Amino acid sequence: PVEPAQPTAGMQALKSARLLQVKEIDSVKYPNGILSPNPAVNNISKSQGIQYSKDFLMQFQDVFKEKPSLDWDAKVKETIGDGSDSA
Amino acid sequence: MADVAPAQTGANPQSPVPLDSIPISPEGALNGTVAVKSEKPAHSETDLVTVFHNPDNFNVKHPLMNHWTLWFTKPPSGKGDNWNDLLKEVITFETVEEFWGIYNNITLTSELALKSDYHLFKKGVRPEWEDPQNKHGGKWSYSFKEKKSIPIDSLWLHVMLAAIGETLEDDGDGEVMGVVVNVRKAFFRIGLWTRTVGKSVPGGGDGNNAGGKGRTTEQGKDVLMKIGKRFKEAIGLGDTEQVEFSGHMDAAHAGSTRAKAKFTI
Repeated sequence: PVEPAQPTAGMQALKSARLLQVKEIDSVKYPNGILSPNPAVNNISKSQGIQYSKDFLMQFQDVFKEKPSLDWDAKVKETIGDGSDSA
Repeated sequence: MADVAPAQTGANPQSPVPLDSIPISPEGALNGTVAVKSEKPAHSETDLVTVFHNPDNFNVKHPLMNHWTLWFTKPPSGKGDNWNDLLKEVITFETVEEFWGIYNNITLTSELALKSDYHLFKKGVRPEWEDPQNKHGGKWSYSFKEKKSIPIDSLWLHVMLAAIGETLEDDGDGEVMGVVVNVRKAFFRIGLWTRTVGKSVPGGGDGNNAGGKGRTTEQGKDVLMKIGKRFKEAIGLGDTEQVEFSGHMDAAHAGSTRAKAKFTI
């Protein structure tokens, strides 16, 4: 029998991590050089959620690259194709 | 700062020693002659460990204000397939981390076949104007006709980030339904769909919300114009270019050639 694919550590961390709460966002000590979500746009006392600036969000681009699921590649191929099939 | 273990026996520091012979708690720390600081302890239960601290072992993730669904329109096969078969729901997500996991593992817009679309819409709203939450609405859009010279991948990324980061509208505006990119032979088009065309809608209630009677037509237009301005900034357009707003119904009834823009900015 073929060994089933195992989720990576990053995939498991994503699954088990909990959602940050709005009131906690100021308590996160981001590592040096990482921008926190722009406090100017977040009125924590009244906001229902957190607004994120483009610059904050772009910082994740090279940090989190895990596939959303083990069967992701097959799913993408099925729904989107490889892009080479022409209309 | 003398953060090193105290010299114990005068042994040559260059010569390798068995690992188990290295004292874990140097005596110097006990008699106070050398300040030995232990390394920062492993994260305790209460620490907020983000993906930036440890991408393999983080314990909090960044929530989005809304849950979003990515959809894809497949190019027609030419065998008379209908729209419902071509529009595919890809995945729904609710965190910044999930967004990047998806984005980093999906086909770039520049690599899609002609007549494909990506749609990123709030969960529960189909990216079709017939959807009850879209049918009274409209869209801001812009067509990029110089396909070769524009960085469509980063423009589409930036407009998605503005949507999920909730910087296209303010708390309570309630207009943004989703964003879309169309890949066509002569152009790439990026659009932003809104719940209304600035007017109250049937069942919209009495409040000052999108479609509510408490939001005057003037206020409704102001909200849409503000969103259009932010959309235009997100896709990097300057003062000389204009984005156009049109109602879905107008376009459906008038036919695309006669549909005229309701607003431009």
